[in-house]
Amino acid sequence: MKRAQIQIGETIAVLFVFFILIIIGFMFYVKVIKDNIDIEKEEMSQLRSVGISQRIMFLPEIQCSEDNIIIDNCIDILKLDYAQSIMKENEIYYYDLLEFSDVNVVQIYPGEAKWNIYSRKTEDFSSKFVTNVPVSLYDPASRKHGFGVLTIETLFK
Amino acid sequence: MINKKAFEIQFNWIFVLVAGAAIILFFTVVVIKQKNVSETSTKATVLKSVEAIITGAGVSTDTTNRIGIPSSDINVDCGRVSIGEVSKQYQNLILFAPSLIKGDKLITQTLAFSTPYRATNLLYITSPQLRYIIIGNSEIAKYINKSMPAELKKEFYKSAPEIKNSNNYRIRFVLFDNIIAFPKALEKLPDSDVTAVKINGDNEKGTAEFYQKQGSSWTLKDTSSYIGKQSLLGAIYSDTFEAYECNMQNVFSRLNLVTKIYVERTKRLMEGAVTGSQIRCNQFYSNALTQLNSILAASSGFSRENINVIAASANSLAGENKNAQIYSCTLIY
Repeated sequence: MKRAQIQIGETIAVLFVFFILIIIGFMFYVKVIKDNIDIEKEEMSQLRSVGISQRIMFLPEIQCSEDNIIIDNCIDILKLDYAQSIMKENEIYYYDLLEFSDVNVVQIYPGEAKWNIYSRKTEDFSSKFVTNVPVSLYDPASRKHGFGVLTIETLFK
Repeated sequence: MINKKAFEIQFNWIFVLVAGAAIILFFTVVVIKQKNVSETSTKATVLKSVEAIITGAGVSTDTTNRIGIPSSDINVDCGRVSIGEVSKQYQNLILFAPSLIKGDKLITQTLAFSTPYRATNLLYITSPQLRYIIIGNSEIAKYINKSMPAELKKEFYKSAPEIKNSNNYRIRFVLFDNIIAFPKALEKLPDSDVTAVKINGDNEKGTAEFYQKQGSSWTLKDTSSYIGKQSLLGAIYSDTFEAYECNMQNVFSRLNLVTKIYVERTKRLMEGAVTGSQIRCNQFYSNALTQLNSILAASSGFSRENINVIAASANSLAGENKNAQIYSCTLIY
């Protein structure tokens, strides 16, 4: 083999090793980035879940009010009865606010009752969060307060 | 003729050149890709902040915030917020904002839209770099000046002053008396950067005329209506007639849905108020139901006629709610 050919062979070998190292480094970098993206995605999903829960808690469609003054953590049962049908009829409108989620209000005292106010689920979800919020259930007809739990299940692709 | 040795040396140099070029090309591509990813990531972060603001607005009323963001140009359209090629589409977004928000700070304000019961929250976003010039001597002019956040770059004049160019990316005139002569100092600015809204009406309702600079004068784009201080502020923050109308249409859609619930709720209250002292309450509920049905019909579309109907019904409904309170009946809202 001639000297020049050996030199070229050496250079090619050096370049080969160099590119192998670059590729290994790049693969490591991509792996780190991918892990970070997954963590960020999880955080985002949690944040969106909290956002959806907050939106539900403050919907004028179900919230209690006294002379237009909002009562926190209180759901008006009379509103709730109609909110569930109106929200089902206008599912696409509410999807913008509540995305893929299932929202239920369960009365614990007095007696047991359940209202499903919104339900739009997806089969191919990658994460699911359930938020339970204790709420006061106000019946304006009898002017009595009950106790219940607002359960918000959010699904993310 | 080139001898064999010389050919070998030349070939070696060509090989080194090709390999060097390949290495440089590789790193250039990586750097360019990384730069694009980084830019898109920053834009996505800003958009996430805007999304968080929009979520927050739905759950808090009567708040004003100054939020720091990476310096960006945010485009706000009907149901769409975008930063460069990164955008987020909303079906029923209620966001009153100028079509372009520039800078590294956002000023947000939220107010409840009540007619007279809360139907939704209105969100206003603007930039401290945008200049607002309020001109008027009426009570409503003073009231609007007070209602706009102090953090804004706003100027309040009782009569038309001499306006100087202070190098703001956009200027919004808010006029309450007459349309003013176009300021000479602003003639050189691009037409889209200078807009005006002329308000005719009071706190309760009125009309808003949308003007835009055209050369060295104003041109009337279109006229819309407002109901309450909240939508009047919306007309001030939105710099185009189309953006304002789109948002108000979304507000009315929500009002329609919420009113349906109040109609059914009031019917149930009526059914329950049939004995003893409750009979008097029944009358209030019956009157309220008439007003609620009137609001329900009028909230089907955003128009001046419907605004007049809603404003009148809202006043009557507030009266019925007051009566219900006086006679210890369950309140309508």
